[in-house]
Amino acid sequence: MAKRAIRINARDNVATLVETARAGDEVAVVTGGETEGVVAQEEIPANFKIALVNITRGEAILKYGEVIGEASVDIPRGTRVHLHNLAGRRGRGDLARKDAP
Amino acid sequence: MSWLGYRRPDGSAGARNHILILPGGLVGSKICEFVRGTVTLVTAETGHARTTRDRRRAGNFLINLGKSPNVAAVIVQGSAAGGYYAELNLERIAHEISTTGKPVALLTADKCGGTLGLLAKGIEVAREMAWQASRLKREPVEDGRLSLGVKCGNSDATSGLVGNGVVGYVFDKLVAAGGVAMFAENTEIIGAEHVLAERAVSPEVARAILASAQKMEERGRVAGEDIRTINPVPSNFAGGISSLEEKSLGAIHKAGTHPVQGVLEYGERPPRPGLYYVDNNANTFHMFSSFSSAGSQIGLFQLGGAGVPEGGFLDTSRGIVSPMLWLTGNRVTAQRAANSIDFSSASVLGGTETMEEAGQRLYDLILEIASGAVTKVETINHVDPFAIYYEDPIF
Repeated sequence: MAKRAIRINARDNVATLVETARAGDEVAVVTGGETEGVVAQEEIPANFKIALVNITRGEAILKYGEVIGEASVDIPRGTRVHLHNLAGRRGRGDLARKDAP
Repeated sequence: MSWLGYRRPDGSAGARNHILILPGGLVGSKICEFVRGTVTLVTAETGHARTTRDRRRAGNFLINLGKSPNVAAVIVQGSAAGGYYAELNLERIAHEISTTGKPVALLTADKCGGTLGLLAKGIEVAREMAWQASRLKREPVEDGRLSLGVKCGNSDATSGLVGNGVVGYVFDKLVAAGGVAMFAENTEIIGAEHVLAERAVSPEVARAILASAQKMEERGRVAGEDIRTINPVPSNFAGGISSLEEKSLGAIHKAGTHPVQGVLEYGERPPRPGLYYVDNNANTFHMFSSFSSAGSQIGLFQLGGAGVPEGGFLDTSRGIVSPMLWLTGNRVTAQRAANSIDFSSASVLGGTETMEEAGQRLYDLILEIASGAVTKVETINHVDPFAIYYEDPIF
C-alpha cells in the first residue's frame, strides 16, 4: 500500500511523510482533497520531507506555501529533503562574519 | 460556555486560589513549608544591578503576578519597606497589587524584630489568608473570562501539521468568546513574521511584530552566530524540521487566525481581550512566568516529541501560580510521557478525528481544568525555578 504524505499548500515542492517510506515505495501525496503519487528513491522516515519535483541548487524550498530555505545542492524528485540539502537563510549571523565560508 | 471560577474583586475569575508570597527567598520558602495553599518565587532574579527599563520590568512582573486572578491574597515581604530602587520598592508593589481589591499584607524585618520575627508574622498572616481564601466558592463564569498562553516545544513535523493547529482552534474559539490568547517566542517567528504582520490589527502592531524578529536576527549578526547552532534545537532536527523558517511557519499555527491586537513585553498585561504576541524568548523558564504575570490562568505547552524519553517527567510548575497543561500531536510522545501529558491530538494524523473535533475536546478539557481539575504535572509537589527576561546586560 502506498505510504501517506501531506503537502500542506498547493505551492509546496515538498511533502511530509506520515509513515516511513522505503526506497521504491509508492507515496500518496495528499493536498487537501487531491492525491498524487511519487516514488521514494531512498528511505524517508515518518515526519521527514520528500521532494515532489526536481529542485535545482539555489532554488527556494516551499512548505506551508512559504520559503523554508533553499536547496544547497540539486535535489532529485522522490529523495529526502533535510539538513544535507536544505539551507535555512534566516538568522545566519555567521554569513556576516569576515571569515564566513 | 461556562466554567467554575473564583470571582475576584476586580471582575476577573481565578482557576486556582493561591496565597502568593512575594518575592521568594528564605522567608518566602519557609512560609510555604509551613502554610498550606501558599506559593512563592524560586529564582535568582531580583532586578538588582539592572537598567532602569529592566528594573521596571522586574517590578511590573511582581505587581502583575500578584494581580493574577489565580491569586486570592498576597504577602509582600522583605528587609525594609523604603529605600532600594524605586521600581522595586516594596510599598509600591504592595500598593499596586491592592488596587485589585484583594487582600495584601506588607511585612518587613525592620518592623517585625528581624528575620525570625518576620517569618513568625508571615506564617500568622498567611494562615489567616489561607483560611479566609478557603471560604470563597467557585461560581459559574463565562469562558470569555479565561486567558491562555501557549508555547510549543521539542517541535517536530506533527507540531506544524496537527498539534499547533489544534491549539489554534482553541485560541480562535476563546478570542471569539471574548477571552485573551497569548503566544510568543521571538526567535521562532523568524521566517514567519511577515505572515503574522499581515494579521496585525494596525500598521503600528505590524511594525512591532517585524521589529521583534529583526531584533533577534540582529543579535545573531552581532554574535556572528549561525542561528541553527541554537535554534532549531537538535530534537527539532531529529523530528524532521530542517530550518528555523520551517519551525517558525509551523509554530505560528498555534496562534489561530484572529487579528493580532498588540505586542506585549515580558509579563505585561494585555489592555483588552483578544489575541496577543509577546516579545518573549522561547525558553520555558521565561515563558510561563510571563503568561501568568499577564493574567493567564492556565499555560499550554504543545509538545512535538523527539528527545522525550520513555517515562520521562515534564516540567511541573514554570507558571508559578498557573498550572501547566501538556499537549502533543505525536502518538509516540503521548505514550512515552503519559505521566505528564493530559491531551493528545495524534488521532488527527491517525485519521480518527478531525482538527475541529480535537480542538473542541481540548477546549472542554481546559474548562474542566479551569474549574479545578488538576493537570497531571500539577500533582507533583515541586517548584521549578523561573527567570525574568531582561533586554539589557547586568551591571
